Amino acid sequence: MSTIEETVQIAVPVRTAYNQWTQFTVFPRFMAAVRDVEQFKPTLTRWTVGRGPVHREFLVEITEQRPDTVVRWRVLGGRGHGEAAFLSLAPDRTSLTVRVGPGDPLGVTRRVLGASLAHFREFIEGVGEETGAWRHTVRDGHVLPAEAEPSRSHGAHWPHG
Amino acid sequence: MTRLMHTSPSDEPEENLTVQPPKTWATGAPAVAHALQYSLEETSVRRTGTTLLTMNQVDGTDCPGCAWADPSPGHRHVNEYCENGAKHINDEATTRRITADFFRRYSVSDLAARSDQWLNQQGRLTEPVVKRPGSDHYEPIGWQEALGLLAGELNSLDSPDEAVFYTSGRVSNEAAFVLQLFARAYGTNNLPDCSNMCHESSGFALHETLGTGKGTVTLEDLHHADLIFVVGQNPGSNHPRQLSALEAAKRNGARVIAVNPLPEAGLLRFKNPQKPRGVIGRGVEIADRFLHIRVGGDLALFQGLNRLLLEAEDARPGTVLDHDFIRASTSGFEEFSRHARTVAWEDVLRATGLTRAEIEKVRDDVLASERVIVCWAMGVTQHKHGVPTIREIVNFLLLRGNLGRAGAGACPVRGHSNVQGDRTVGIWEQMPDSFLDALRDEFGFEPPRHHGLDAVNSIKAMREGRVRFFLGVAGNFVRAAPDSDVTEEAMRRCRLTAHISTKLNRSHTVCGDTALILPTLGRTERDIQATGEQFVTVEDSMSEVHTSRGRLEPASRLLLSEVAILCRLARRTLEGRTEIPWDRFEADYGVIRDRIARIVPGLHDYNRRVVRPGGIRLPNPVNEGVFGTESGKALFTRNDWQMPRVPEGHLLLQTLRSHDQWNTVPYTTDDRYRGIHGSRRVVMVNPDDLTELGLADGQRVDLVSVWSDDVERRAAGFTVVAYPSARGCAAAYYPETNVLVPLDSVADISNQPASKGVVVRLESRALAGTTPD
Repeated sequence: MSTIEETVQIAVPVRTAYNQWTQFTVFPRFMAAVRDVEQFKPTLTRWTVGRGPVHREFLVEITEQRPDTVVRWRVLGGRGHGEAAFLSLAPDRTSLTVRVGPGDPLGVTRRVLGASLAHFREFIEGVGEETGAWRHTVRDGHVLPAEAEPSRSHGAHWPHG
Repeated sequence: MTRLMHTSPSDEPEENLTVQPPKTWATGAPAVAHALQYSLEETSVRRTGTTLLTMNQVDGTDCPGCAWADPSPGHRHVNEYCENGAKHINDEATTRRITADFFRRYSVSDLAARSDQWLNQQGRLTEPVVKRPGSDHYEPIGWQEALGLLAGELNSLDSPDEAVFYTSGRVSNEAAFVLQLFARAYGTNNLPDCSNMCHESSGFALHETLGTGKGTVTLEDLHHADLIFVVGQNPGSNHPRQLSALEAAKRNGARVIAVNPLPEAGLLRFKNPQKPRGVIGRGVEIADRFLHIRVGGDLALFQGLNRLLLEAEDARPGTVLDHDFIRASTSGFEEFSRHARTVAWEDVLRATGLTRAEIEKVRDDVLASERVIVCWAMGVTQHKHGVPTIREIVNFLLLRGNLGRAGAGACPVRGHSNVQGDRTVGIWEQMPDSFLDALRDEFGFEPPRHHGLDAVNSIKAMREGRVRFFLGVAGNFVRAAPDSDVTEEAMRRCRLTAHISTKLNRSHTVCGDTALILPTLGRTERDIQATGEQFVTVEDSMSEVHTSRGRLEPASRLLLSEVAILCRLARRTLEGRTEIPWDRFEADYGVIRDRIARIVPGLHDYNRRVVRPGGIRLPNPVNEGVFGTESGKALFTRNDWQMPRVPEGHLLLQTLRSHDQWNTVPYTTDDRYRGIHGSRRVVMVNPDDLTELGLADGQRVDLVSVWSDDVERRAAGFTVVAYPSARGCAAAYYPETNVLVPLDSVADISNQPASKGVVVRLESRALAGTTPD
């Protein structure tokens, strides 16, 4: 089984499409096979897939992320990996290409990937704006220091005994 | 002048000490059976069932035991508890009761002669009692009068700094927040807590180097690491559920390196009682490599390891260090690297007691691993050089980018349920201005700004008469503290000592002129206030905040919750001096949480978020590439050190828990995995050391610690047990050996007692069979 690739064009700015893609916990809204996504840290999520009584889980690590450009991931404990590449075609038009490598635990076929992307497009075009955004850069699994204010969800910053 | 210190209370006679070879596996079916046995002895079957089933479940009771994280909802076993937790919960839920008759029968002096175990077994406290000046008995007192006594005393002190308010890790976020608010409104920052004695070194070191004083890993990181170090930790006895996480990690292909002066059973082989294959079968060998290190040798080990990694990079540039990460996210690498290469192997090998080949094999394990986690506990923190050791562990993790990435990071493992949460909501004598400003803006009073007293400094202040009032919320201060005789004498100098407790312990027998015991609800009990049933919240080692709700009927109708006691005390003491709504807090803990939400970063929207399944995950900024240091980067540090000087004929002693013991509370005298049964007054020594010292297995000795003052600190009547401890190192149980830890023997920078680095000699007594003095 080799890498599958599908491309979709979306009638929203690249920033909107990219921002929405960073909101992993919302994926069940437009990807039928995905039941739940739990996020532990910016680069670590658990995906539960399968809609019936049978479901599978796997952990995904984000290895690369560059705003408005690409999100790359790999499946921990497995051989799956993939990437979502964004390209601005016009102020209100974005090309999104998703490649999923062999060994992907979803067992995604070209048809399923295509359908998922179509649903993503329908979702983001229909809603018109992203549900949230995460604009940091990830390189080699590390989140790079950003100049922006730390997010408000950070915890207390004094020493814990 | 040499002052002879009297020993801690006598134990039951020693004749029933039996020693077997230490076990090579931990938990498994005997652990579960054991937990049930203990719980059935303590309480009724129904209470057992109810408490065990709801432990650590969503919307259930949070186990007040260790602070190991719970798996996400949906991933928890129905029996998501360990043996310790089961015993602990059922210990609290015991059907035994202490009444006024008990105190009539036993004077304070009688109780002071009893063992910790006996005191714990007497049952739940049921009503407030007072020991008045000149009396040797506790007698019942009404709540109003008790609170009046406390308030009266507080308002008669010459300065608010003559009071200290001690917090132990059982205290919930809500009660802890109320306590620190009260103390600060009253006018002091004297807020010692039990972290001062356990992970303070971790907090300081991590805060300095990473900007956040907490661990950086989640359970899921552990499951998917390639290599996990377990340093100075005994999970089999103290964090059994960690073994489940290590087991999962091993199934996913991880390797585990255990670093410990004792070969602890849980790390050698683990039989998971939660899984069928654990009940029968051989279980899982957890540690792939065991480093039998000398007490206190961990700093030297990591320095040696770091030097080897730098040299490996020299040999094959670009293949070992994560240069991108070092460049983008760290500072101080050059100086660290220069110093690291000068570390002398002779010093490293002497300090660790390991061979160079052993450390090189660890280097090879590291080079073969992409994701590395280092877990540690008191074996690392409770040394003079505890802070530099953890800094060196951070250096190690930074070199190959093992911080801020999935499956990698720093994992200080806390042993007490809410020790982290208490700190988050302000229990610390050195809270920063930003927090104090927020309190001021929210509540309209000016908090004191000068730092308060931590545990060690509180004891010094009591000893010198500068502190006259002590209130302990939960815990057993007198047995958790070092230098037991000094601590007890200091406590007795107080005008008033008071404890908010569920059960009896030695702290209640070490009294100021006036002493109060204020009985409170346990975690397992329903807490009903004016607006209805309440829940509290706690934070685990992995920074997850979740709810805890009790379901049992309280042990007595006269119990008040910790929050209620503190709110009423605050009202009585401050009498309208502030506009803090103490009665609203008492009536509805959600109001407390709303206020916390406006003050503590990360807990915004507290009420709404904490009740979601799984609660609130407080992210560590390190995992978002944010280092709260001045430079905004993670710091490499240069750490110089000196091994403690151990004169000839002496040993380096670590004080530790036995199995069947949780913090200062021993449940039995059964250290099952170490094969020691029937006595707690034992000292474990390597047979070769015994030969050199001219001692024999089974011999009766006194332990005498050596320090730079001329005070003799003696723990009398111990039995020598030949044991595979590292050479030159001994081990004995605390709190019995706390008497040997000098108050001034503390970790640099963190000021936590160096309870695992005590220089001792063993003085022979008559042969085994003689009863102790």
